[in-house]
Amino acid sequence: MTPLSQIWVIAKMELGRVFFSRRSFWVYLLALFPTVIFLGHAIDAQLKVKRWGGERGVKAELLDQAQSGMTDEQVLALVGKPVTDQTRKRRARRDDDPADKQPEVRRYMMYFDGKRRVDLRFEDGKLVSRNARVLMNFEDDRRVYAGMFQYFYLRLGIFFGCLGIFINLFRGEMLDRSLHFWFLAPVKREVLLLGKYLAGLIAAAVIFGGGAMLSFLAMVLPHDSVEVQTFWQTIGTEHAFWYAAAAALGCVGYGSVFLASGLLLRNPIIPAIVILVWESINGFLPDVMQKLSVLHYLQSLCPVPVPLPTEMPAVLKMLLAPAAPTAVWISVAGLLTLTGLVLFAAMQAARRLEINYGAE
Amino acid sequence: MSTPEIVFDNVSKFYGEVLGVNRVDLHIPPGITSLVGPNGSGKTTLMNLMTGLVHPNAGVIQVRGISPFAPEKLMKILGYATQYDAGPRGATGFDFINSGLLLHGFSTAEAEKRTWQAIERVGLTAAAKRKVAGYSKGMRQRIRLAQSIAHDPLVLILDEPLNGLDPLVRAETIALFREYAAGGRHVVLSSHVLQEVDVFSDQVILIANGMIVAEGQIKSVREEIHEHPSQYLLHCKEASRVASLLFAETHISEIRLAPEGQGLLVLTRNREAFATALERIALSGIDIDGVIPTDENVDALYEYLIGGGR
Amino acid sequence: MAVYRRGYQRYEGGLTSHLERLMVMPRFSWARMVEQKFVLILLVVSMFWPLLCATFVYLANHSELWQGFDTGFKKFLAINGKFFSVFMKVQSGYALILASVAGPGLIAPDLSNNALPLYFSRPLTRGDYILSRMIVLLGLLSLVTIVPGMLLFGMQAGIAGGDWFWNNWYLGAAIFFGFALYIVTVSLVAMTCSAYVKWRVVAGALVLAFFFLLAGASEMVNSVFRVEWASVFNVGYAMNTVWAGMLDLAIPDEKPGVLECAVFIGALGAGLLALLARKLRAVEVVK
Repeated sequence: MTPLSQIWVIAKMELGRVFFSRRSFWVYLLALFPTVIFLGHAIDAQLKVKRWGGERGVKAELLDQAQSGMTDEQVLALVGKPVTDQTRKRRARRDDDPADKQPEVRRYMMYFDGKRRVDLRFEDGKLVSRNARVLMNFEDDRRVYAGMFQYFYLRLGIFFGCLGIFINLFRGEMLDRSLHFWFLAPVKREVLLLGKYLAGLIAAAVIFGGGAMLSFLAMVLPHDSVEVQTFWQTIGTEHAFWYAAAAALGCVGYGSVFLASGLLLRNPIIPAIVILVWESINGFLPDVMQKLSVLHYLQSLCPVPVPLPTEMPAVLKMLLAPAAPTAVWISVAGLLTLTGLVLFAAMQAARRLEINYGAE
Repeated sequence: MSTPEIVFDNVSKFYGEVLGVNRVDLHIPPGITSLVGPNGSGKTTLMNLMTGLVHPNAGVIQVRGISPFAPEKLMKILGYATQYDAGPRGATGFDFINSGLLLHGFSTAEAEKRTWQAIERVGLTAAAKRKVAGYSKGMRQRIRLAQSIAHDPLVLILDEPLNGLDPLVRAETIALFREYAAGGRHVVLSSHVLQEVDVFSDQVILIANGMIVAEGQIKSVREEIHEHPSQYLLHCKEASRVASLLFAETHISEIRLAPEGQGLLVLTRNREAFATALERIALSGIDIDGVIPTDENVDALYEYLIGGGR
Repeated sequence: MAVYRRGYQRYEGGLTSHLERLMVMPRFSWARMVEQKFVLILLVVSMFWPLLCATFVYLANHSELWQGFDTGFKKFLAINGKFFSVFMKVQSGYALILASVAGPGLIAPDLSNNALPLYFSRPLTRGDYILSRMIVLLGLLSLVTIVPGMLLFGMQAGIAGGDWFWNNWYLGAAIFFGFALYIVTVSLVAMTCSAYVKWRVVAGALVLAFFFLLAGASEMVNSVFRVEWASVFNVGYAMNTVWAGMLDLAIPDEKPGVLECAVFIGALGAGLLALLARKLRAVEVVK
């Protein structure tokens, strides 16, 4: 039996456990959550159009005449009754500074003109801000998807999913006191490691790559069919490919790191915390440091750049300076090289690994 | 050509500051070899060292010429029934054995055939499709045995294989060891009950506190112990007269009259000289009905070699 | 016919109190915890921020040092609800990491070694068991939250004088009860993860995942649906909002308010307790 066929036999044996164990349930949950959310968004938008578009809908040209400085009564007289209308009175606080004048009453009105939702904010009776957006805006949704993919899917979903899948492969067997079963098979430890890694990788890539594809489709398909068709004919397929590729490469990189930390350390949660913190603060570090991150290369593969979160404090925004994306081929080669090195270290650790369940 | 022996050459193993085994030199020939010692004496460590589950801090191990650092070669000729209870999570008895055989490179059909043969051999056919985690202690013991013999290895290593077995299965299992060893294969097993393994072992290795204290056949092992005088029970009618004659011998250290004057309990430091003296007494016309060595049994041996070392 | 003489007599001497018995487990657990290097390192590191804040308090109370500075800067130096809010946010991060490292070791080993029957065969109820395990975490986490928080408040009150204390006593109450609510919540999460995942390591990851994933998921719902209400499911946000209410700070109108956040935290705590009680039974499960 050749080492390659042994790798495949081990991978096949492990695949069933990774795909179908009860523990994998939450990994599927992580991977499919964005799909559910985007489908929910499409349904929600349709319901809102139906609910708001009838009697409560107003004319777009009237809404556009509402300008800053108008009073709430003027707006009501001009446009009519809003879909929602909320008034909040300011409560006095103990450490209020009398010099710092704050508006006493805030009023929020929301209108719908059949396509756009328009939010108006009044302070002490005067219109101060106006925010309009199309309910199902393809451009907007693609940006939101990019943000979701980079901030949730790559940084959290794939990170924790791979942590669960790959740590399980060796450290989990150690804790289950069943690793000796594999060590008593006529296979080299390196072959065993690669077989297990392959199983974890196939499972993670299928679950998260598939999840990325599904959520992408759930984001694209509910939009206007002409827009969608144009999108597929131009950049759609390429975008879908790179999202799936980034998800799969995320599994390649994080998978190797967590497999190795499960072998090298008794408590792999510590490197996991370190990596999580490192990836989170990475954006605030100098360019060179930013490039020492799996996330940086994965984000470089993403087809749509993500704007900074709108609610981030100004001080943090000043400090945050994302490094320029790295070229695609360097990103892919860099990730694969990193994975190769990490797997090599893991092989050395696997060769030295002893069965000592009592120490767990 | 590989050496058909299991060799430990000055092997030591420490778990941090705790001694596993210390400077072990062993040559284990084919046949049934039993490792005997109290709990924590290092039996399992020796077995784990042989199979590569743990690595020595010093020394070299060869199993029929193969290093335990080459599992891809060693495990083809070796089967190990560990004392670890757990199998792969959620595996049935059948899966447990079958998956191991697939890793050996057997085709699916051949692996299934061998799996059923091994399961039948240990009498677990009815429970084969049940989860190993739900097995009783004895059943787990048997499924591990089945897993270790399924690929028909040349070296069979069994960690306390008779624990938890009922008398019938125990007899069948011992028969299996004998049959296995008869073909020039190694059967190495461990036990902390010397009496249990003495009856079917070709040789016994006594281990205490991580060190080998004796190896060989029980009888020859006793002959090597000089610090404890040998004990004999003499059946004779003229016990007092025999006692007075034996007291004249310098190698006799103690003589006690057995109850009701039926004989003597004699302690001697020289077995050959004692035999010569007895011959002389018998030739002088005194009837000696029987001479029974009382400390060549395994209990006494165990007490001499290991009891003091506890 | 066999005759059995009753030779057994029950122990009739004095017994320690229920509370004393309850504290047996925490005593052993604390001893084991401080043997963990990472826990010790975290404890030491988590003291840096309180020390920095204490320095800030000292400097802020010496107005003679800042005479030439503008009012904006002096406002920045004010020791008020905002200051303690920032202090609490940073310290809560340490408490979370500490809980994810130390928490999973509390119940997971008992489950993986089938030790629960051993505990429950003693005069301990499931409630006692949960409480005693929780005391361990509460004790540890209060070292990085309530204790430095109250010391900091005490220091400010001591330097600024009785008037300041009289006007700002609610800040002290907010620090105490706000942190207490937080460490109870974090402890419940850590213990539930520890009870549902037999492995310490995975349970630790799950504690972190619980907080980070809920935060990520709530942000995702907010941005996809273009709403703000999902922030309530972000435990960090919900806790900060409740603290803001206690510290009498302003909360953005469009975001979920103190009441919604408090209800969510209460429901979360009740749910976690129910999960814990369901899981902790003196039975062995075959998998």
